[in-house]
Amino acid sequence: MSGPLAGVRVVVLAGMGPVPFTGMLLADMGAEVVRVTRPANRSQRALANTDGLRPEHDLANRGVEAVEADLKESSGVEAVRQLVAAADVFVEGYRPGVAERLGLGPEVLLERNPALVYARLTGYGQTGPMAKQAGHDINYVAQSGALHAMARAGEAPRPPINLLGDYAGGGTVAAFGIVCALLEARGSGRGQVLDAAMVDGVALLTAKLQGLRAAGLFADEPGTNWLDSGAPYYDTYRCADGRYLAVGALEADFYREFLARLDVDVADWPDQHDRAGWPKLRELIAAAVASKPQAEWAAIYAGTDACVTPVLTFDEAAEDPHNAERELFQRIGGALHPSPAPRFSRTAPREPATPRPEPLDLRSLLETWAGGS
Amino acid sequence: MTPKQKGPLAGIRIVELGGVGPVPFGGMLLADLGADVVRIDRPAGYDGGAPVDPKFNLLNRGRRSAALDLKNPAAVDAALALVRRADALIEGFRPGVAERLGLGPDVCLAANPALVYGRMTGWGQDGPLAREPGHDINYISLTGVLHSIGAAGGPPAIPLNLTGDFGGGSLYLALGVVSALLESRASGRGQVIDAAMVDGSASLMTLVYGLHAAGYWNDERGTNRLDSGAPWYQVYATADDRWISIAANEARFWRNVLRLLGFDEDEMPDQHDRSRWPEVREKFAAVFRTRTRDEWCALAEGEESCLAPVLSLTEAPHHPHLRARETFVEVDGVVQPAPAPRFSRTPGAVQGPPPRPGQHTGEVLGDWGFTPGEVAALREAGAIA
Repeated sequence: MSGPLAGVRVVVLAGMGPVPFTGMLLADMGAEVVRVTRPANRSQRALANTDGLRPEHDLANRGVEAVEADLKESSGVEAVRQLVAAADVFVEGYRPGVAERLGLGPEVLLERNPALVYARLTGYGQTGPMAKQAGHDINYVAQSGALHAMARAGEAPRPPINLLGDYAGGGTVAAFGIVCALLEARGSGRGQVLDAAMVDGVALLTAKLQGLRAAGLFADEPGTNWLDSGAPYYDTYRCADGRYLAVGALEADFYREFLARLDVDVADWPDQHDRAGWPKLRELIAAAVASKPQAEWAAIYAGTDACVTPVLTFDEAAEDPHNAERELFQRIGGALHPSPAPRFSRTAPREPATPRPEPLDLRSLLETWAGGS
Repeated sequence: MTPKQKGPLAGIRIVELGGVGPVPFGGMLLADLGADVVRIDRPAGYDGGAPVDPKFNLLNRGRRSAALDLKNPAAVDAALALVRRADALIEGFRPGVAERLGLGPDVCLAANPALVYGRMTGWGQDGPLAREPGHDINYISLTGVLHSIGAAGGPPAIPLNLTGDFGGGSLYLALGVVSALLESRASGRGQVIDAAMVDGSASLMTLVYGLHAAGYWNDERGTNRLDSGAPWYQVYATADDRWISIAANEARFWRNVLRLLGFDEDEMPDQHDRSRWPEVREKFAAVFRTRTRDEWCALAEGEESCLAPVLSLTEAPHHPHLRARETFVEVDGVVQPAPAPRFSRTPGAVQGPPPRPGQHTGEVLGDWGFTPGEVAALREAGAIA
């Protein structure tokens, strides 16, 4: 037994994007997660658009077992129903109505297992005019109001890869909801259906910004605010070697420290909070930062309160002394894995296992689960 | 707002040591789903970095505020009494600060062995940077997140504070707290959670790290399939200087987008021919410029082309889909995102507006088992106002 979710059984219908990520988060915390795939599933290959992402690179499957079931055959559907009858959680990410058509809708599964937490993870949600419309992360983040705000003044919005929709607002919010529902089910003996929509999840992440906007403290015009590269003291700057420095010197004390170590005469520089002076201030900071390579700046600011850090690549991130000491990354099966988060003092999860290429035998898994062990 | 909260966490009591940023958002996530979360604020009141009416400080919504002067030993005793009656505590000070206040994990877990003690920081509880200050932009600069976002050849773009503070921070704190609560219900034992934004933001990058290891993801930002490198996963400016997002990853959606834009598929380059991406991008950009954003949205309706308007924070709450879903609600005159995810049987709710610091001191102490005499003694000692 390891991890706070040890003993929790989760069945995930294979899919792309956020659903496997939810499975990974639960498995990282010790849940026994089984992913149902169709025989000869090719979805990972579609994602990679090459001749195949090898199992050890499909990191969301770490610590997750796979079983194959042909959901077009009634025997395959029945096997999954039996598996879910012995599970605590079921996760699916099809468009609304598809799981029902497969014979794996919430009514059927909750009837067999009244304590089941049935989580539905989609982009637009189970209801509303766009519920059945196709989309991807960038669309959901656009729809929720977050993408518009992520741009430099006058430039195109830049999606933060698919971190906000698929993973933060999607997979993580769903995992959070699942554990909350499990906690409730332990008391009531009753499960329920979760509607986890990425548009809702991303919108939720903008709560603080919506409050600031309502108060008149955050302009709709992107790139003009204090956290969106509008403020010169909260931005990235190019160093002499073309690498970048992240400057997060929001507080007056930290900002003073940042300036002091730039080692240039700042007597005539515009004041930190003089918005009219921001364009000028940005130019002055940019010119100063451009005088030294990234590593030199990183050494200069190390151990100071300036809130200045080097912008690291993937491989550098693993080698950074802080990340290395915390074992933020682990090399598993030849791939660099971000470690499970958060960390637990007493029920630390076991190390994630390499994603396995071979599926488990569904029949023997059913025997194990139905046996109540 | 009373202890009659609605949601799957109803009946769970949480103490939140007041602060700004990720801890309040974590408290909000837990309160939205029904936990009775009590914020311990400073008596003088702390404006949360934004000197405005508390009703705009949305991260504090749905919970009560008790003001305790933690420099006063009687107040620390009172806080410990609250901790004894709580299921969880969340705090976001730098490592060592809660200990100095007399409310560190050892003291709290000794008082309440089943307590889940959630610690939220940027760098984590250990490692050489643990005691350094920092902000979202710094935490995500160390995990490969910031490096990966932005236009090709340009500077890293800042995803506001959504991948560090809230996505990689609060969400993991909240997930960790409820997971540890589930465990402690069975074991009778609590524990300490180290929720670090560096860890959480790295965790959000897991699949991208896998693609990178497989050789399918370049270190060079803005050149990959999901980072605005591909012309079919991209934003385009429209005739009215607004933006449209398209995400036509799959061959079927790619064909639909070509049809929508009026291109003949046979005359277009292969979708995955990177050498022709700049050309495709230019062609798409020129066509998108010919109509307004909303015209494109109307045209794309039902076309399965993975197209969506890029809405501002002001516009998003008014979009017909989000209105139909009530993704945003209005509380106390302030439009705000509704709780997520949604529960069929025990729905969460915005349990109430953000409190003024200290608004509920007496009420909370009473509800959590303090006698009127004990409350009066605290007032006498200057521990509460």
